[in-house]
Amino acid sequence: MSYSDKVIDHYNRPRNVGSMDKKGADVGTGLVGAPECGDVMKLQIRVNPQTNIIEDAKFKTFGCGSAIASSSLATEWVKGKTVDQALEIKNTEIVKELALPPVKIHCSVLAEDAIRAAIGDWKKKQEAAKPAEVQAAQ
Amino acid sequence: MPGQAPGDATPSCWSCGTMRAVHFCSSCGKVQPPVPVDYFTFFGFPRKLNLDTAELEREFYALSRRLHPDVFGQAETQERTWSLEQSSMLNDAYRTLKDPIKRTEYLLRLEGVELEEQSKQATEKARATGELKKQAVPPDLLEEVFELNMHLEELRMQKKMGEDDPALLEEIGKAKLSLEEKNGALLNELKAEWSKWDKAVEERSEDNGTKSDRRKILDRMLDVLNRRNYVRNLVRDVNEALES
Repeated sequence: MSYSDKVIDHYNRPRNVGSMDKKGADVGTGLVGAPECGDVMKLQIRVNPQTNIIEDAKFKTFGCGSAIASSSLATEWVKGKTVDQALEIKNTEIVKELALPPVKIHCSVLAEDAIRAAIGDWKKKQEAAKPAEVQAAQ
Repeated sequence: MPGQAPGDATPSCWSCGTMRAVHFCSSCGKVQPPVPVDYFTFFGFPRKLNLDTAELEREFYALSRRLHPDVFGQAETQERTWSLEQSSMLNDAYRTLKDPIKRTEYLLRLEGVELEEQSKQATEKARATGELKKQAVPPDLLEEVFELNMHLEELRMQKKMGEDDPALLEEIGKAKLSLEEKNGALLNELKAEWSKWDKAVEERSEDNGTKSDRRKILDRMLDVLNRRNYVRNLVRDVNEALES
């Protein structure tokens, strides 16, 4: 099996590698894994609370080239989108963009899971913060 | 092929016409064309996981000798081809069944447990419903895997630069011990499920309650294997990083 040019490009020059403070109120963290190959992927987003736009995204993936490329691409795609728009990203779009072979489809699934997990974490923080705001307003 | 009983696959001998066994005619002893049976059936074993590996080995060597292509040097072309095909299946079957993990993974596939397919469907469900997908392994294990991978990356970097950090080495050494312990515990957990599975196979009941019980046993085995995959990969990576 050989990697597509786009996978190799993301693998050699991964975009947005790094981490954010996962305790940050505007930060959502998704940590997901693919047990079949032992990959683990962390994707973090920083969301503007006024606009719900994802202003920054970072990732760190331990896994094969396709997993790294899928998560690198995922950070590129979510940046500038609203949270709801980001939730519309499908793994099949990642497969198409990176020309992933069937045996690597699970890497794209992992990237979609990571986006959803990060947004889920951010939403949970928003929910948790709400009652306090209401109380503060009273 | 899953679900195929040996009876279905063993009609009459191509040479003498009487009923035959899987590999050789029980009457005239001629080698038979390979039939699509699962590896358990290939060895004449029930689909159980507590397997007598000594017996497996004996069967393997006995069959290897009888199926060896050299034995068929003077035989008809079709017999030579069949003996070759049977030998290759024998090797695959032996390699799969003798290893406890491969054997379990093979059984799960035979019983229709498809990890990747399940994961994909769970993602599609999460997309459709907006609910969060449950990860196949507990979050704290994922955290541990991630953290240790970070340490290993640091160690590789330090080695490249010719630096030495005893504290980091000690931490990784500790993690290694804990992983090996975990690996052993997971194997025991798996073996406990094997016994439950074997008991269910012995009972052979086809009522729906039993079927769903069996499914639960298979799911628990999958769960153990998922966690074990991470642990196994980490042990390998730790050893590589320490030795390099």
